[in-house]
Amino acid sequence: MAKETVMAGCSAAAHAAKAARVEVISSYPIRPYTGIMMELSKLVANGDLDAEFVHGEGEHAQVSIALGASASGARAYTGSSGVGVTYAMEVYSPTAGGRYPLQMSIADRALDPPGDFGSEHTDVMSARDQGWIMGWAETPQEVFDNTIMFYKIGEDSSVMLPQFCCQDGYFVSHIPGKVSIPEQSQVDEYLPAYKPHLPLDPTRPSSHGPQIYPDQGSAIDIQRAIAMINTPKVIEKAVADFNKQFGRNYSPFVEEYKCDDADFVFFLQGAHCRTARYAVDHLRKQGAKVGMVKLRFVRPFPTEAVAESLKKFKAVGTIETSTSYGGAMKGGNLIHEVRSACYDLPKGPAITSFMAGLGGEVVTLEEFYKMAKILAEAAKKGAIDQYVYWVNFDKGI
Amino acid sequence: MSKKYNENFNIPKHLEVPMGAVIPAPVKEQPAMKTGNWRTERPVIDHEKCTLCLNCFAYCPDSSWHLDEKGERMVWNPIYCKGCRVCVEVCPADALRNENEMDFKGGMARLDKPY
Amino acid sequence: MSNVSTAKAAQDLYEITIWCSGVTQDMEGRHLSLLLANAASKDGKHTQAWDNYADLPDRVGVPLRKYARICDEEIEMRYLYENATPHMSIVMNDVILKGIDVLRGMEKGGVLVVNTKRPVDEILKLIPNKDLLSAIVTVDATGIAGGSGLESLDFMGSEGGVEATAVGAGLSAPLVGAAAKVCDKFTLESLVAVAANKAGVKEGNKQAVVKTL
Repeated sequence: MAKETVMAGCSAAAHAAKAARVEVISSYPIRPYTGIMMELSKLVANGDLDAEFVHGEGEHAQVSIALGASASGARAYTGSSGVGVTYAMEVYSPTAGGRYPLQMSIADRALDPPGDFGSEHTDVMSARDQGWIMGWAETPQEVFDNTIMFYKIGEDSSVMLPQFCCQDGYFVSHIPGKVSIPEQSQVDEYLPAYKPHLPLDPTRPSSHGPQIYPDQGSAIDIQRAIAMINTPKVIEKAVADFNKQFGRNYSPFVEEYKCDDADFVFFLQGAHCRTARYAVDHLRKQGAKVGMVKLRFVRPFPTEAVAESLKKFKAVGTIETSTSYGGAMKGGNLIHEVRSACYDLPKGPAITSFMAGLGGEVVTLEEFYKMAKILAEAAKKGAIDQYVYWVNFDKGI
Repeated sequence: MSKKYNENFNIPKHLEVPMGAVIPAPVKEQPAMKTGNWRTERPVIDHEKCTLCLNCFAYCPDSSWHLDEKGERMVWNPIYCKGCRVCVEVCPADALRNENEMDFKGGMARLDKPY
Repeated sequence: MSNVSTAKAAQDLYEITIWCSGVTQDMEGRHLSLLLANAASKDGKHTQAWDNYADLPDRVGVPLRKYARICDEEIEMRYLYENATPHMSIVMNDVILKGIDVLRGMEKGGVLVVNTKRPVDEILKLIPNKDLLSAIVTVDATGIAGGSGLESLDFMGSEGGVEATAVGAGLSAPLVGAAAKVCDKFTLESLVAVAANKAGVKEGNKQAVVKTL
């Protein structure tokens, strides 16, 4: 019988790591993800989880420890937030390139300056080129489910890539919600043991990360590209199996909410999807033909699925919770991906972006209504007036 | 930039921040962080027993004890004292004791925000 | 499409803000919000209970805030940092009233619950904006729960963790009993059912003194 509890995203991630039978946990405190390690340390100390709990002297050491553990054949688990994620930046490429499928549980935090505990996706988005699987959860239940699904996807033999399992700091990590914890036997059935390709072993010596000549560089890089090309198939199967095994209803790449007859949609990922659903409901009562498209994986970016979904609409507004200073669209990150995905459509939607929810600010229902007004205009005209709107500071919104 | 990019932003007054969030620091007291309302007990001094050893002045983490201008008595600053009781512990003359803050009128800055 | 910008969702939320002292009362303050939310949930309502994010990590004595919200329908704006308009304010350490405006944001007709040994009139002298209140409740929760009143030293539930000890074993139990006297969003039976210190809840309800204003 599944256990019905109410817990915050941090606890959900910790209990999911326990259900996934992680073997080595590498920790270092930083708010807001620190609750995950607090809860895991309690589980390990009480004997509920049989794992090695190691404390690094900084995030760089922390992820390196997890890399070493994964290279030795253990299912490794670590995590971080904000500037901790950027402190460990050096280790991300060796982890993905060496094909060690460890999981890093991220509770977002805005990067300095100044000290801001609030949620912003920039910390992990700035590592999105390294070859890690990356996706955001909207509720504590989804944090729990993603933890298990990501291990299944990352440890698949045709993928073998590490994963960032992300949630919004404070909004999802600290505010409790309903979490249904399945039976351990069901999780064991879904998630088999980790099979490393050539683990560190004194009886079978191996070299990890040796020196090469530059002409072999692209040959090694393309391995990661091929792994990322293989990943969408694996995601589809893993999500379908998960839904069947645990009675959930996740879409693999994008989830459409009330989009069947929509003229314009909000496109976003993470916690604010929850508020967006209520905004869509209220706007529809006023007669607006609006919907919401939620992105489940930002890496590998589901280019075909996004184009398939967005081609139905007249206007799309991406809600950016991360920044790309000096980028091509002078705003956030999602718009670059969405515009590229929709570039080849014979008659694609008008696309604009809204800088909202940065630094941990709340995206209120009123702000969604203001965005909807702009999108409605764009849908009617078939074109946008502005590429980027800073929701609090733009006179146009 | 083309006309499809806005160049004129309107930052609301209450969200204005100096460049890089770098600000001048206060010299003597920090008026924006009055921690006096953290305490549950306050230290009360018996001037007859006090030997002016200045232990309380040296140990106080909030610099709430100092000598008055004439150098004859210890003076307590109620605005920042957090009631940590270190001064009471380290007084060698037993001149300090803890008393509940509610027994005294005033002595706290009344704040709209906690700190 | 003319009404898009005014489409509003005004929900009828009952907001509770709890004030307590850092470190020593952090766990009990959080248990207080959990008890109120769990009891209202048992009575069939939709609830939320959480800590103020900016007050944590706490330091000894810093004024902390914990929040609970109760609603008949599913709560839509779940992701907020504070309760902007509390209908009930609960103060766990009466010294907090000396330095802080605990009725901040309250609309006329709210209630205040205070843990204190002192008489009501002495407490009312400390509240300059008491005309906002419809009632004030005082109870000696420290005396009923036993101990010095500064006793929570288990932090497993903070920062999004799961409570390690039983919810409502100490100071929070008599205070919820007192709160039940001026609020109909949760019943005394449900509060007794969800709290660990059941006798404390009943005793707090019995000994609480209500003064209507």
